[in-house]
Amino acid sequence: MKSHLYFKVLLFLLTLTILAALVVILDIGLKAASAIILALFMVKFLGVAFYFMELKRAHVFWKSAVLIFASIFLGLVLMIV
Amino acid sequence: MESQSINSKNIYYPPGGILMWIIIFLELFTFGMALVAMVIYSKDEPEIFHSSRLLLNTTFGLVNTIFLLTSGFFMAKSVESFKAKNIKKSTLYLKLAMLGGFLFLLLKSFEYYEKMEAGLSIGYNTFFSFYWMLTLFHVIHVLVGLVILSSVYVGLHKKKSNLELEDFEASAAFWHMCDLIWLLLFPIIYLLF
Repeated sequence: MKSHLYFKVLLFLLTLTILAALVVILDIGLKAASAIILALFMVKFLGVAFYFMELKRAHVFWKSAVLIFASIFLGLVLMIV
Repeated sequence: MESQSINSKNIYYPPGGILMWIIIFLELFTFGMALVAMVIYSKDEPEIFHSSRLLLNTTFGLVNTIFLLTSGFFMAKSVESFKAKNIKKSTLYLKLAMLGGFLFLLLKSFEYYEKMEAGLSIGYNTFFSFYWMLTLFHVIHVLVGLVILSSVYVGLHKKKSNLELEDFEASAAFWHMCDLIWLLLFPIIYLLF
């Protein structure tokens, strides 16, 4: 069951990677493209942390710490861009 | 088949160990701050950053992302098999995870060679200073990760192996950290500007 989950997560992450590259090709403006690309990569970041690194079975402190880091990073970059 | 487990719900025992997670956060903050600095600098020279970003090969970056993500998948499978005490499968998955790392380094070397040939060295402009520093620092992490995984591989092959689940999980966490760092680097350096 878990093996299938890892594979599904991998497929999901690969799909998001390709989607992010496609967003660059589309001419939707820097601000919108940046927001979409960074959001997609943050989902991937959390996917790797929570599933491959098994953070989902860790104490809530570690889960929150990763979520806070990802939110601050995403927020800061979007604010500057 | 008996399986091993660690109580990761305990705050002091995150998967991979507390020391590894302290290192992971230090690394994420270091790379994160450098990337934020890069974005700040890009506001002063938007034209240079845009034209320089176009000189990078996005396809290489994309393929390298796929290599690292797939490698991370095999690493997770390797830990899972080790927990189930299926050493044969665990070794196979570990080898595939390492292969992903080697392919990443191979493509990165080719990319670096291309950039050097084109004269796009570290002093070319601000964008390339960040590009070289950040990606080379990441490559060093991948190299260290491969050395760690090699030691795990040797440990798995020993007849009287004393390789513990904690060691395996810590090594895997380091390897996944290389993924995490790349997932911060790739969108900013290759796609954003």
